[in-house]
Amino acid sequence: MQQQRSRVYVWEFPVRFTHWINLLCILALSITGFYIGNPFIQAYSAKQYIMGWIRFIHFVAAYAFLMSFLIRIYWGFMGNKYANWRAFNPFSAKKIRDLADITMFYLLLKKEPPPAVKKEGHTACAIYVYLGLFILFVIEILTGFALYSQSHYGVFWKLMGGWLLSVINVQNIRLYHHLIMWFLIAFAILHVYIGWFLDKTEKNGLMGSIFSGYKFVTGKELE
Amino acid sequence: MKIPDEKELGFMEKLAQKGISRRDFMKFCTMMAATLALPASFAPKIAEAIEKSKRPSLVWLEFQDCAGNTESFLRASKPTVVEIVLNLLSVDYHETIMAPAGKQAEKSLDDVVKNQKGKYITVVEGAIPTKDGGVYCCIGGRSAVDIVKEVCGNAMATIAVGACAWDGGWPAASPNPTGAKGVKDVVSGITLINLPGCPMNVQNLTGVVVHLLTFGALPATDELGRPLFAYGERIHDHCERRAHFDAGQYVRQWGDEGHRLGWCLYEMGCKGPETFQNCPTIRWNDATNWPVGSGHGCIGCASPRFWDTMTPFYRRLPKVPGFGVEATADKIGLGLAAVTAAGVVAHGIARAVKGKGPEQGEKKE
Amino acid sequence: MRAVENALGITIPDNARIIRNLITGIQYVQDHVIHFYHLHALDWVDVVSALKADPAKTSALAQSISDWDKSSTTYFKAIQDKLKAFVESGQLGIFANAYWGHPAYKLPPEANLMAVAHYLEALDWQKDVIRIHAVLGSKNPHAQTYLVGGMALPVDPNSQNALNVEGIALIIELANKAKTFVEKVYIPDLLAIASFYKDWAGYGAGVGNFLAYGVFEQDNVSNTTNLYFPRGIIKNKDLSKVYPVDQTKIAEYVTHSWYEYPEGDGKSKHPWEGVTKPNYTGPKPPYEFLETNQKYSWLKAPRYEDTAMEVGPLSRMLVAYASGHKRVKEVVDSVLKKLGVGPEALFSTLGRTAARGVETLVTAEMLLVWLGQLEQNIKRADLQIHNNEKWDPSTWPKEAKGYGFHEAPRGALGHWVRIVDGKIENYQCVVPSTWNGSPRDAKGQKGPYEVALIGTPVADPNKPVEILRTIHSFDPCMACAVHVVDTEGKEFTRIRIV
Repeated sequence: MQQQRSRVYVWEFPVRFTHWINLLCILALSITGFYIGNPFIQAYSAKQYIMGWIRFIHFVAAYAFLMSFLIRIYWGFMGNKYANWRAFNPFSAKKIRDLADITMFYLLLKKEPPPAVKKEGHTACAIYVYLGLFILFVIEILTGFALYSQSHYGVFWKLMGGWLLSVINVQNIRLYHHLIMWFLIAFAILHVYIGWFLDKTEKNGLMGSIFSGYKFVTGKELE
Repeated sequence: MKIPDEKELGFMEKLAQKGISRRDFMKFCTMMAATLALPASFAPKIAEAIEKSKRPSLVWLEFQDCAGNTESFLRASKPTVVEIVLNLLSVDYHETIMAPAGKQAEKSLDDVVKNQKGKYITVVEGAIPTKDGGVYCCIGGRSAVDIVKEVCGNAMATIAVGACAWDGGWPAASPNPTGAKGVKDVVSGITLINLPGCPMNVQNLTGVVVHLLTFGALPATDELGRPLFAYGERIHDHCERRAHFDAGQYVRQWGDEGHRLGWCLYEMGCKGPETFQNCPTIRWNDATNWPVGSGHGCIGCASPRFWDTMTPFYRRLPKVPGFGVEATADKIGLGLAAVTAAGVVAHGIARAVKGKGPEQGEKKE
Repeated sequence: MRAVENALGITIPDNARIIRNLITGIQYVQDHVIHFYHLHALDWVDVVSALKADPAKTSALAQSISDWDKSSTTYFKAIQDKLKAFVESGQLGIFANAYWGHPAYKLPPEANLMAVAHYLEALDWQKDVIRIHAVLGSKNPHAQTYLVGGMALPVDPNSQNALNVEGIALIIELANKAKTFVEKVYIPDLLAIASFYKDWAGYGAGVGNFLAYGVFEQDNVSNTTNLYFPRGIIKNKDLSKVYPVDQTKIAEYVTHSWYEYPEGDGKSKHPWEGVTKPNYTGPKPPYEFLETNQKYSWLKAPRYEDTAMEVGPLSRMLVAYASGHKRVKEVVDSVLKKLGVGPEALFSTLGRTAARGVETLVTAEMLLVWLGQLEQNIKRADLQIHNNEKWDPSTWPKEAKGYGFHEAPRGALGHWVRIVDGKIENYQCVVPSTWNGSPRDAKGQKGPYEVALIGTPVADPNKPVEILRTIHSFDPCMACAVHVVDTEGKEFTRIRIV
């Protein structure tokens, strides 16, 4: 096996920054969101403001998340090739080919990952998962604002998500908003594990890369 | 839309109270015509002009209903139903409370539709079944669809009262065996306002009627055709128990301490946070009480298709389609997270053992 | 709700039972009064004739039958003036096109005026007394505090958000107002009007079989027979024997109803096995007549032991009377005595209307008794209003079935439920108006309405006020329908409530 490893700057600052902001926001949103859906702490006095603060945190985190999300989209046009929206094109024939390989690799049916893993930012599998994640984020944001618009009247809130209320009934919106939280939690578990798994098997410093931005790449950059 | 204004109404009432009969009134008009040196044929025109002060006719239609809105109507207090029937309006047709029956009752309806085209108000209570040619609700041999098209089509304005007349309500709940629909989906192009609720709160009905008589037009509505003065804001935002919601004090079980102390019913499935109506403000039965006030959560009866969308009434979230009745979103979500975690652990072990075989329970990605 | 409680074996707390009794009780009182004055009285009272009344004589009449305070000459004069102004406005509204002046109206103008005054008073009264529903049930109509297992109305004398003394004081005030009106207005009017229509004790007898599930539980056992108004059956107008009710003997036919059974329409089905599958075979609307030897109604035909039964206040009062219910017996006997008729007069249109009045009075008297029971419980610090044990569906058995009996104001109401995996598998309601308004069954036996109309004299076939008297005396749940009456006196509703 060739051991020509080089250190490559893959994740630029905005990518790393939004990644960590997203993590914090999703964590905050999940915990507060879970409480809002099922207030497990009982106040002992009416002078407390538990639900009030929890909702406040939820809404602030939601705005932060939205901003982070927008920055990431902006960077999809301004950033390097790993961050560029083209890297996420799901219809690329190569991606579809690699998907089978990487899946076999993850299932421990194949010893070696497809060569792309060694060279590029995201694996083919990750591309599809992140695209799905992107859609989940959009749904969360829209349903979130749809619910928010129930108590915040005006055209702005209608545009942000309120229009959904006339498409889907409010209780189903609430249900989707809630269910997707669990999908995100499931994603997070997998995300960390696979990162760790690849880091171990490929020794590519993947886990460190999201802090530093650098990844170790074997072989020559092709594209 | 030509509506007598309040002043004129007052004038007619005064006339009536002074014992001036219709006959006297017509005589007076003829005399006026003579005095003004107009041909006698003008008398009816004068009469018409003054007669704008006639009490507007109201016909009340009932279809697939339980008369709940009629009962609610009878509970009117501001003004009372006596005042409405005797002074404010001319309730010319109302199957439940009218004196005549059968053919004579049908005549009352015909009279209004034919003689007062475009001048009367129609109130519709109950859903209209449209399946199989409308056979599921026929009155006097005519289908409800037929009747509603004719009566509402010729009315000055139609008020759909209750959830059923609005969007089909209970008869239209899944699987809707009779193809029940609300007025808005059966007749188009009419002047319509909706007062959903199960039943509607009569104070909102009298509100609409008085608005109509005072301002000569129906009040402004939201995109669902409900008047903003009654359905403009959320129950949750005007709830007397809102402070307990924000504080974090919830009823957990019927009859527990929180229930007795009037804490928030959120955990008992209250649909106040998704329902738009003015219950907390105007309350019911002369402002005596309202559901949340009594200790039972709102069931969202003024929300669209509430039997399908607001159930289960005693849970925060609807059930997840395709799962059993006991599966809540959280149970399913927790299951999903658990399966994922288990998959990860299994994968890790498999890798550690360097086993070549695929692991069961392994999740993709 | 009771059916589910029965299926799951839930015992409700005592307070919930009492609160339910109170809600049902005031509903009886209010509903019966509305029925009498607003849905039934105009079959007997000629509103237009009231214009000819002498207010002084009306006052004398009113004072002779009751010490109700609104009975002065000036009061009746004011009512008459109001009526006059109304009639002369030329817009008769709900009173237009009625049968005014019909020879079947027998009341003198003064009695008519008095009845009109009370018609208007009752309209104001009913909206007040039903505020008890708002206190105990959150709102009326459609009370919302009923739960499987109890009530959602907390009881706590030391909380401002539960049923406390303020609520109880309001109930006392309203219950007294209800009782006073019944004693001083409704019952005297009923007797006064009835005395002019005694011939109606001879018409409208119906099928002669009476079914009452009984109402006002006196203990907390599911479907208890310990009821204030007892459960029972009377057969063939025989008041000497009361038969017990066995719910397994209830079954419904669809032979003449627009439904179909998978095994054919000749057999009946018990509600647990009931099927509601529409099969409309009638004419395409608009139509003039329905063919009675085919299917002709949206109502099924419920039968007990293959026999048509009448339900309603008359059934309840007859069962109570025959079971030796002390207070009912007293009141019934005094009414019969005042009208100068025997118990056989009860089997009639007049009897039905009188029984409703008797029941209203007896129920109104009980309201404060029940409230007293609630107060006793509160005094003992028993504040329980709900049995939480089976609230969560995960505690339910895999399969369960149950039935629940209730007496709606207009008669016996039964619900049957089968639950499988926490879901309703089948739910059938056998409601009072299907008993009374039942079409014919497989054997061609007629229902109570149809039988009751046989032999009713009709003075003018185009204005059959006599038919209305009998049909209205049943308090049909067809507020929703304008009845088409053909010259043979058969009446069918065509409303279907799914």
